[in-house]
Amino acid sequence: MIPWIRFIFTAFFLIAGLAGFASGVLGVFRFGFVMNRMHAGGIGDTFGLFFIMLALIIGSGVNMDSLKLLLLVVFMWCTSPVSTHFLSQIEYDTNDHLFDRVKTEEEGDKENGTDRIV
Amino acid sequence: MSVESAYRILYGGALIVFSLLIGAMLIRSVIGPAITDRILSVNMIGTMIISCIAILSQYLKESYLADVALIYTMISFLSVLVLTCVFIPHHPVRSGFGKNVFLSGEEKEGDKG
Repeated sequence: MIPWIRFIFTAFFLIAGLAGFASGVLGVFRFGFVMNRMHAGGIGDTFGLFFIMLALIIGSGVNMDSLKLLLLVVFMWCTSPVSTHFLSQIEYDTNDHLFDRVKTEEEGDKENGTDRIV
Repeated sequence: MSVESAYRILYGGALIVFSLLIGAMLIRSVIGPAITDRILSVNMIGTMIISCIAILSQYLKESYLADVALIYTMISFLSVLVLTCVFIPHHPVRSGFGKNVFLSGEEKEGDKG
């Protein structure tokens, strides 16, 4: 009975991770602007990978192999924001029509009526 | 049905879904209008392949494939970083970021300032 309960948890988390990846791919196809698409890509990198690895750790039990998978999640969570930062840097450098879609802080404050303490 | 065969069906189905998602991202990298879309889809393909290798290490009960996934993570991160570092200095930059970091003081023509 215990192995079947573990299997049910594995299946649940694996399907959750797959749903995360699928929503990321759907967002990359459906969003109209590159910054939004980067956000959708980040969902797959963090949410999807974490739940896939959690499912595999539950499925395999605690041993050296699951420790490696945990290390993989830690490494991916450290490197994914860095690559997203560099991608947005490219977008800022190469897109001439960026400020048609993106507001600066001053413009946003003026529209919202908020007072930002600098 | 034993637990082992149930695990095999689950992992096999997950691998099939991943192959479909990777194909979709490959289409995105072909039709992507800007370079950013292409690099983003390469990044996402890398993440999904890492998950595939990790699932495969449990599917085949081969422990060394987890090490392969770890190395693949580092190389996937490095590919995005290197593509960015190659691309930024060869484009007229707005922020001066690429010029300062990657060209180490060389003057770049067509700089918008």
